[in-house]
Amino acid sequence: MVVEVKMRACFALHRGLSPFRVLTLLALVVQPATAQWRDHRSLSAMLTSLAQAHPSQALLLTVATSPGGRSIQALRVGAGGDAATRPALLVVANAYGPHLVGSGIALATAERLLQSGSSDSATSRLLNSTTIWFIPRLNPDAAEGLLGPVKWERVGNGTAVDDDHDQQLDEDGPDDLDGNGVLTMMRVEDANGEWIADSVETGLLRRADAAKGEVGRYRLVGVEGRDDDGDGRFNEDAAGGTDINRNFAYNYPHHGTNAGQYSFSASETRGLADFLIAHPEIAAVYVLGPQDNLLAPWINRPSMGIADPQGVRSPEGTSAGGQLNSILKADEASFADAARRFQKTTGLTKGPASAASAGDVLAFLYYDFGRWAFGSRGWWVPEAARDTSARGKSTGTTSTDPLSEDRNALHWFRANHVDAFVDWSKVTLTGESRITEVGGFKPGALLNPPAGEQYDSTLARQGRFIFELAGMLPRLALRDVKVEVLGEGVWRISTEVVNDGVLPTTTAIGARLRNPRSVRVDLDAKGGTILSGQKVQLLAPIAGLGRSTRLEWTVTAARGATVSLSAGSPVTGTVSQTITLR
Amino acid sequence: MRIQHVVLAGIALLTGAAAAGAQQAPTALGNLAAAGSPKAPKVQVMWDRFYDHAAIGEIGRRLQAAHPNTCRLSSIGKSHEGRDIWVITVTDFTKGDPDRKPAMYVDGNIHSNEIQGTEFALYTAWYLCEMQGQNPWIDSLLATRTMYLVPTINPDGREDYLKQPNNASSPRTGKVPRDTDGDGLVDEDSYDDLDHDGNITQMRRRNPNGRFIESPEDPRIMIPALPGQKGQWDLLGSEGIDNDGDGLVNEDGVGGYDPNRNWPWRWQPSYVQGGSDFYPTSLPETRAVIDFVTRHPNIAGAQSYHNNGGMILRGPGSPQDEYRPQDVQVFDQLGRVGERILPGYRYIVVWKDLYIVWGGELDWFYGNRGIVTFSNELWTDFKYFEKSNDERSRYTRPEYDFDRLLLFGDAFVPWKPFKHPQYGDIEVGGFKKTFGRAEPGFLVQAEGHRNMAFTVYQMWQLPSVGVDSIAVRSVGNGLSEVRAIISNGRVVPTHTQQDVENKITRPDYVTLTGGTVVAGYRVTNPLNGQAVEQGRNPAQLAIDNIPGNSNVTIKWIVRGNGPFTVTVDSEKGGTASLRR
Repeated sequence: MVVEVKMRACFALHRGLSPFRVLTLLALVVQPATAQWRDHRSLSAMLTSLAQAHPSQALLLTVATSPGGRSIQALRVGAGGDAATRPALLVVANAYGPHLVGSGIALATAERLLQSGSSDSATSRLLNSTTIWFIPRLNPDAAEGLLGPVKWERVGNGTAVDDDHDQQLDEDGPDDLDGNGVLTMMRVEDANGEWIADSVETGLLRRADAAKGEVGRYRLVGVEGRDDDGDGRFNEDAAGGTDINRNFAYNYPHHGTNAGQYSFSASETRGLADFLIAHPEIAAVYVLGPQDNLLAPWINRPSMGIADPQGVRSPEGTSAGGQLNSILKADEASFADAARRFQKTTGLTKGPASAASAGDVLAFLYYDFGRWAFGSRGWWVPEAARDTSARGKSTGTTSTDPLSEDRNALHWFRANHVDAFVDWSKVTLTGESRITEVGGFKPGALLNPPAGEQYDSTLARQGRFIFELAGMLPRLALRDVKVEVLGEGVWRISTEVVNDGVLPTTTAIGARLRNPRSVRVDLDAKGGTILSGQKVQLLAPIAGLGRSTRLEWTVTAARGATVSLSAGSPVTGTVSQTITLR
Repeated sequence: MRIQHVVLAGIALLTGAAAAGAQQAPTALGNLAAAGSPKAPKVQVMWDRFYDHAAIGEIGRRLQAAHPNTCRLSSIGKSHEGRDIWVITVTDFTKGDPDRKPAMYVDGNIHSNEIQGTEFALYTAWYLCEMQGQNPWIDSLLATRTMYLVPTINPDGREDYLKQPNNASSPRTGKVPRDTDGDGLVDEDSYDDLDHDGNITQMRRRNPNGRFIESPEDPRIMIPALPGQKGQWDLLGSEGIDNDGDGLVNEDGVGGYDPNRNWPWRWQPSYVQGGSDFYPTSLPETRAVIDFVTRHPNIAGAQSYHNNGGMILRGPGSPQDEYRPQDVQVFDQLGRVGERILPGYRYIVVWKDLYIVWGGELDWFYGNRGIVTFSNELWTDFKYFEKSNDERSRYTRPEYDFDRLLLFGDAFVPWKPFKHPQYGDIEVGGFKKTFGRAEPGFLVQAEGHRNMAFTVYQMWQLPSVGVDSIAVRSVGNGLSEVRAIISNGRVVPTHTQQDVENKITRPDYVTLTGGTVVAGYRVTNPLNGQAVEQGRNPAQLAIDNIPGNSNVTIKWIVRGNGPFTVTVDSEKGGTASLRR
């Protein structure tokens, strides 16, 4: 845990408290967001040393190189000769730059699996039967925003973009006006502004309600900074280009801010897709990012598709109707089951709603790549204990209160002595005579847990879920293989192709996409002839937990001849059996 | 621009077809050039055949060698199999920076079997080069505009079409291997050229209960038996065998995607848009074109050649989009002229009049880059007898008549017996791959010329900015008002509305030198003088668009008496200045 000497500690000394009491106070003032996170250099070094320390259980490869020259690495964790080919889980994190907690969870889980793989039998079993890939940081350029000397929530990668179309690149980014090393928000006193301070949480701003006779007091400029290029706008062309979590194809925001010049314009985005193409054995993906489907599982919500310019609508998910807007009915139960397991395993049942889908990794993995794709923020500000102070009583928080999440965050940060909010303070801005102040939540504070109990418990509970998810991958078996003689030399062969895993062999959308591959069943009659049934067939998804598909063939062959039967796909593994006809 | 220089050894690689087609002769035979034709072409190319990758490069190199100030060959990137994707830049290289002139982009052959766009692009390069110096209009065109011609953006697929046994519709895909049937094997069951004639024709098998009979008027034609009539034949599809023993024939050939559904504008996965492949820009050829076009903001117009059906297509491909009315006007003006230039072609909208396309190339050009883009579907049945095919009867087909009367049966492989490993005794026969979707030899140049003329017309109508006039008057206190009219004399605006609304390319800049600018304005209503001030950097006024066949009035309040120079600088409309 990193402890920062803060003003509160100094006050304590002035009050003449004992040194012991001072130390206790110091320990309580927790550095909020960033101190425990690794920058790219440190993360890479850690991944390299893990791979070197566990050569038989780990493999490190580079998936892409960011425009900032940083390599995006994938670490494979799994033991045994078939680690490269058997069904696998992928954990991918930090496509959204400020979401460092995802990287932390991915790295810590990989580290723990590798370190306890030889001592803990459950881990050892998992590592010998399943492969887990970790891509801890898909957007390393943006992640550095919270890890440099001045911390800010950078979302764009290292592509220089002329955001404001003035023929200059990255010429007006935010500036640390108050010199506190973090970029917060900036407001200017202006009666034409739309904002007023909340009466209870005076640090928070809310929109003035003209219907109640309220008049705005502040104009909210955005992130703190100067108009560096003197064009009358503030911070309109900051460093950085593409938010990787807005550059995928599903719901892609064409010409949107930080969405990249076009869908898949970023090497990081292509790198992830190419990695999945090269690894058809990846059956499921756990995405740590702003999009969630484990607190509120995705459901099938049938709707009509787009209306064409003449107003005609066609069913969604078709050529005329366009994009599919919700998951297929056949996949719904598995998403619900995964969410139930997540909530049970992590104890996390309530949290902020998922961020909207717009070119994000999570939706892409399901809708465009057919994978079982589960997403969680990993951490969010917990619900604060009921505040019995005057402040808490007068809040009167209702569901329509736009500040409810921020209020809760402030309560919780206060209760847990986390220094996550910078009080508004005046700054001088050239050319601005009105009172200008900066303040607000520290960058990353609402996304990433503070060091200490929250950090530790987050890594632990998320690690447990990743462990559980790895055990949910589909597993095939051939059962109840029967041979009946119908007449001399004519045989009926039948079998159950069973899925002993938890998740169906593929998503229903994957079957439509032919990605990932369906289970292929081959009956090789050797010298015999197949009279009915197919030599090669592809099966529709088989649900998990022991459910099966029954197959039957009739063949002619001499008594005592053998036929071989196999069933499998990269995401399920392949099982086979040789049958003697007698 | 990187220029790929000629390696002499490359000539030795020319195939027989290419060598025959592109022989270098010092002077042309013939005494009098027909109207509109080059008097003494320096490069001899035969325009009744189709060229392979080596020959395309060779034609480009010969044009460059013969016309070094008009034609340059370079590469925009490599295909999946490592072939260069050639671009031929045609402009007057002695006048201005080619990448700053308003430019027309033309490509062909995105679908491997849709080959003639390549020859049409090559013909365009050849024609413009050989006519330069002979035709003042073309001289002026090339002095002020640039044409980027990418004869094939799919060289791997083209090579497959030309060199491997195929039919007129195969392959559509490029050559990146894909598991089309999802069985875990890649490209394992392609067509098989059973009779080894280089063409994939049809298979038929005698069956007293079959549903097809031979036409009594032309026995080459297989027609459905009438209800109640006993048939003679089964039709078994394209030549092939079950290579992988899965019971299916020809179910996983080369590639397995549609390169024209792989573009990052309204891309959709395969259950919405078949053939779109794993993700937008998954193909190296798509990315090469995108990178080139993005690096050339001077491209204001584009044409992507396909076949077939006689169409001048504009987007949108998807019903989710609707072109802005200002832009539709521009497309309409150009498209209607196109219908005149190209008899038998209809100017229509992809999603509404043809079919829905998600992630198509022309949609990316317009949607993402704001470029006025057409896609011509080359060749149409209309050309058989230069009328609509209303003479089709039960027993005759115009294409068979055309082959018989004009090609003397050269397009058809007669039915002949073959012993098929799965089907037994069958017959193989049908049209060759060069017939039905590509022009027959004697029409390649004619149709190439008409389509070239349409792209040249569009190129001429790309924006052309000018400073029409400057008026100076004193406003007292040592200040002058300088008023200038900035015009665009062509149909296409400097920014389509799609471009303006999405801020795709930078505004046009109008700058004043010769005095100290105190204030600058765009005059929004020249009749009553209403104006909008540009507070910041008024010496360089940013104009979001100069519409086609229109003008914009601007004015400055300036300290000083001149002379003043007004310069307009447009990414897509070129530059111009006037001094007064």
